[in-house]
Amino acid sequence: MNHFTINNNDEVKKLMALAINSGETLLRNGAEAYRVEDTMERICNSRENIFNANSFVTQTGIFLTFEYENQSYVNFKRVRDTAINLEKISEVNDFSRKFVCTKISLDEGLNIISKINKIKTHTKLEKAIFGAASAAFFTLMFGGNLRDFFASYIASYFVISIMNITNEFKLTFFIDNFLGAFLASLFASISIKIGLGTNLDKIIIGSIMYLVPGVAITNAIRDTMNGDSLSGLSKGMEAILSALAIAFGVWVILAIYI
Amino acid sequence: MRVGFQLLYQLVLGFFATIGFAVYFYAPIDSVLATGLAGGLSWVLYYIVLNITNDKIIGTFLGAFLVGILGEFLAIKMKKPATVFITPGIVSLVPGAGMYYTMLHLVQKDYTQAAITGSETLFIAAAIAMGIIVSTIFSKSLRFIKNKHS
Repeated sequence: MNHFTINNNDEVKKLMALAINSGETLLRNGAEAYRVEDTMERICNSRENIFNANSFVTQTGIFLTFEYENQSYVNFKRVRDTAINLEKISEVNDFSRKFVCTKISLDEGLNIISKINKIKTHTKLEKAIFGAASAAFFTLMFGGNLRDFFASYIASYFVISIMNITNEFKLTFFIDNFLGAFLASLFASISIKIGLGTNLDKIIIGSIMYLVPGVAITNAIRDTMNGDSLSGLSKGMEAILSALAIAFGVWVILAIYI
Repeated sequence: MRVGFQLLYQLVLGFFATIGFAVYFYAPIDSVLATGLAGGLSWVLYYIVLNITNDKIIGTFLGAFLVGILGEFLAIKMKKPATVFITPGIVSLVPGAGMYYTMLHLVQKDYTQAAITGSETLFIAAAIAMGIIVSTIFSKSLRFIKNKHS
């Protein structure tokens, strides 16, 4: 049996599921639109009797269509709540390369994708420790002193730990960002009050650095420059609204504090 | 001597900030140190250019270009997609503070200041995107020339 062709309708369905699942995994973990489209099309085109594979990816959903024995198949998946996870992107990328040029069966492929989805990379504690460290270093980069460094570390450690808990409730990104910024500036102003930190603005900017959608706005512009204007627009809109939510969160505290 | 010390200090800051973000973004663990070095170097380049020309946008562009080149190089060396290195690498250049200040000026009803910081932020983000795209094209054409000759 040749693994490089599709033999019956059952396999068509599996191929569709495989392509859509790997696309969803990529998009959910923060891959660029063109990478998702490219990966799905490559997976479909690697089987010889599949023609006209086409995909269309936005920030919130994926469409995929291809032809098999003069019949066209279409599928579509809605994607919510994306977060960046580079390890999973790297794994799916590896898998799609292997799938295209070696004899991995469709069932095996579906298994690998669901395994990738379940990868446990770092624990929440590690995430909090390293996220807080980078926040503290950003405070130094923006011109804070050593006391601000420690204030920022402690503030953002608490914020990331609390955010890890609230993430379970699946609030929207707007509420998440508002809450994070609110807590960060609350802890920052407390640290000033008890005499640990000295520059309020430096501590706050450092501590909200992992919330601020700087990477998102850059990716939005990259997508737009690549020609994926719809994905770029939706990413950009989300980034602007996140920044607004963060500003509201900080402003609530500043208005009370000053 | 003092300049050298200052640059080393900035390199260390950029290195650790990038590593923190790489872990926060769940980067594969064997790529983290290399990413940190790329991020630190690009932050130092940005810092030098900013101090010479006093222009954030050209500094950001050059920094992002360096991240892109190093990312493509590491991608071939370590057999991982270039995004794994580029996404945490650009974090130190990314205009997070600018975006925050823009929105803060807006909620404080300081619209002129919001327009100034907002447009600067947008240009910085565009400069990063340009830097990465140019570096991708650059490395692609290098590969093309190499393949032609061998």
